[in-house]
Amino acid sequence: MAGKVIEFRHVIKSFDETQVLKQIDFEIEAGKFYTLLGPSGCGKTTILRLIAGFLHPTSGEILFNGQTINEVPANQRQVNTVFQDYALFPHLNVEQNVAFGLEIKKVDKKIIKNKISDALKLVQLSGYGQRNIDELSGGQKQRVAIARAIVNEPKVLLLDEPLSALDHKLRKEMQGELRALQQRLGITFIFVTHDQEEALAMSDQIFVMNAGKILQSGTPVDIYDEPINHFVADFIGESNIIPGKMKDDYIVTFDGHDFECVDAGMKTNEAVEIVIRPEDLDIAPANTGKMNVTVDTQLFRGVDYQITAHDVNDNEWKINSIHKTTVGQMVGLNFDPEDIHVMRFGEDEATFDARLEQYE
Amino acid sequence: MKKKFHLSNLYLILVFAVLYLPILYLIFYSFNAGKTMDKFTGFSWQHYLTLFADTRMISIVINTVIIAVLSALIATLIGTFGALGIQQLRKRSLRNCILSLNNVLMVSPDVIIGASFLIFFTFLGIKLGFGSVLLSHIAFSIPIVVLMVLPKIDEMSQVMIDAAYDLGATKWQALTRVVLPAITPGIFAGYFMAFTYSLDDFAVTFFVTGNGFSTLSVEIYSRARQGIDLEVNALSTLMFVVSLLLVGGYYALTRYNESKKIHRARAAEEEISQ
Amino acid sequence: MKSKAAYLTPYFLWIALFVIAPMALILYQSFFSITGHFTFANYEEYLSSSVYLKMTFNSIWYALIITVLALAISYPTAYLINQLKNKQLWLLLIILPTWINLLLKTYAFIGLFSQNGSVNDFLRFVGLGSHQILFTDASFIFVATYIEIPFMILPIFNSLDELNPSLINASRDLGASNWQTFRRVIVPLTMPGVKAGFQAVFIPSLSLFMITRLIGGNRVITLGTAIEEHFLVTQNWGMGSTIGIILILAMFVVMFLTRDRKNRGGQIR
Repeated sequence: MAGKVIEFRHVIKSFDETQVLKQIDFEIEAGKFYTLLGPSGCGKTTILRLIAGFLHPTSGEILFNGQTINEVPANQRQVNTVFQDYALFPHLNVEQNVAFGLEIKKVDKKIIKNKISDALKLVQLSGYGQRNIDELSGGQKQRVAIARAIVNEPKVLLLDEPLSALDHKLRKEMQGELRALQQRLGITFIFVTHDQEEALAMSDQIFVMNAGKILQSGTPVDIYDEPINHFVADFIGESNIIPGKMKDDYIVTFDGHDFECVDAGMKTNEAVEIVIRPEDLDIAPANTGKMNVTVDTQLFRGVDYQITAHDVNDNEWKINSIHKTTVGQMVGLNFDPEDIHVMRFGEDEATFDARLEQYE
Repeated sequence: MKKKFHLSNLYLILVFAVLYLPILYLIFYSFNAGKTMDKFTGFSWQHYLTLFADTRMISIVINTVIIAVLSALIATLIGTFGALGIQQLRKRSLRNCILSLNNVLMVSPDVIIGASFLIFFTFLGIKLGFGSVLLSHIAFSIPIVVLMVLPKIDEMSQVMIDAAYDLGATKWQALTRVVLPAITPGIFAGYFMAFTYSLDDFAVTFFVTGNGFSTLSVEIYSRARQGIDLEVNALSTLMFVVSLLLVGGYYALTRYNESKKIHRARAAEEEISQ
Repeated sequence: MKSKAAYLTPYFLWIALFVIAPMALILYQSFFSITGHFTFANYEEYLSSSVYLKMTFNSIWYALIITVLALAISYPTAYLINQLKNKQLWLLLIILPTWINLLLKTYAFIGLFSQNGSVNDFLRFVGLGSHQILFTDASFIFVATYIEIPFMILPIFNSLDELNPSLINASRDLGASNWQTFRRVIVPLTMPGVKAGFQAVFIPSLSLFMITRLIGGNRVITLGTAIEEHFLVTQNWGMGSTIGIILILAMFVVMFLTRDRKNRGGQIR
């Protein structure tokens, strides 16, 4: 498909003395749904504002279609933003809000009219053109904000936590709609969120960020199954993270036993962390599984039971099981070699990818 | 419980009575056929007729209005752009420092403002009269405009301006199409306050007016020092009516906008809940 | 960056010319004698003259009486208005008289308080006989209080209005009586409004000069009257400026004493 639209080359951004972005490098391909995911203050919104042009990098280069845009002001960039609290102009009605960008560009009145009606149709707000902003519900404002942005036919649409102000049900609905909209328009979406579920559900590509760095990038499945480090494993979904030792390729030791695994390419006896997702653990009668744990708490959640337990070494285990247990009881745990994911300490993304290349 | 209710109502009635009686008293005697505020000897328009025939008084009224309109206009311009500039200041300490300076004229006693302006004009050799009064009125109206406009600018989120840039607006377009419409209520309120400040001012004007030029307040003062003159009563009745119209109009306008908003919001709510 | 400077140029010019320069000039002027020589004599005279010191003390004393009276009348008024149904409308009626020219209101009292005025008519009617009311301390205090009351009610009303009603419910819930709730919850939480009102009334009361002239009949001399006298009558600008500096200092002291420690609320809208 079409090549990269946006590229960051060694981008650093500092405010006063503090570096909020530490050497960011990435490429954004045309027509995909990207998500910048991370806790608040990790720098994800800063990246968005750098792309939009509200901020300028302290050093490094930002390229748009292969051209440096470091110094291009926000109003001359072919990107548009859907803001967190919508930022709809309160003195203009829906139609006037959507028309704003086109009027600025002095587009012909007739064309504007058609484009507005198309955009409103696209976000399912046909017939709302004359409404005032304060007459709209949260979800409707959201749609107007999207219409106002896409009517300008940007190459890239930036979305700054646009769903955070909506209630849970509406948020789920909008996630689906946004994804569908992106596929229909075929333009690049860059979506910022701190909600990992949202990121997993919507994205083609996720950039997981923390403390001004991109820790890992990849498809939702890659990131969920093969988190690069403790932070990513912990931030994305629930996980059991247990200290262990890499005995040899495909054999890892933790909790006093050796287990078969699918990871390799590390030093012998290297200290590592292993990750097993709670839903990958199966409860078995005591002494019949690969290890034994004692149940501490059990919570019924509808689809399954959320169980916490501890092993002989006092490691805590989270287990999601459809089978009921009894608190205080000892049970066995079963898991497959591919359920175990081994993480090295301090491995960066490049080495991680290179190592995976070796044996996959 | 019931008794207490009555007592508190009585208290409020008393307060309002004291607040309004002197004003009504003035108005009442403006229609007196006699010459004093002691005995009402019969209804008459004669003091109004004297007032309308008093060319000196009429020219003073015109002067006062010109000063008020002009000074409020210029103060609103300078104050609004000042507030826009202050809002853009990044440094908190600098902003606070400027706001403190802004408020100096708000908290200073009139006499101090008047006296210090008098020294200032004399120092620069500016002739006392229309010019010095106009300059003074602009000067003491600017901070009130800033104080009325700045909260509106702060209220408007910076994201609005970002959104305008994002949609391709230049700085000027963002200012005229987004910022100014959003802060218009503040600008109007600022102009209105500046206008009434100017109309009402006595002390500052008294210091910087010199001999040839006079405003209403100064004229009323010099007439009141000579005792009762029912022409002043007639004038105060007219001024009362004008202030009533001004205030009433202003409030009706803001109320109308508010209620329109509330009405719309309510309509929207109902629709959503359906 | 450029546009920021353009926005602010006239405004900064205003600060320099009409805020800083006049204040600097009044300080400068206070060091000059009537003949135009640099001197500390004005301050020496002020601090050693019993006339000036007594006048200052009187001025502060009167301002204090006016402020306390205004507070005593305004707090209950603000409190009661805040409980009315159309409170914003009633508040508007309180503010309305402030839009009527100060001089006209003062002028009304010349008529009301005169020898044959309505107040004396009333006193004679109830059998108290007529009195000299105009040109007394009491009439000055009455008129000044009358004029300042709205400026006291407004900030107190605003702080009462901002008060979260659930705090009062919480106090009642915890067993406080009406009076205890008032004393321990409402009063402390409306203190910023009271302080703002104190500032808004006390400082102008120090400097009122036309009420002292028209109603006080030169019996009461405030700092404001003295400044006006020196500037416009005796033309002793040096001494006038010196008194002005004293007034500015007094203003700072009041503002310091009534400053809002938490730096919020209670300001006049």
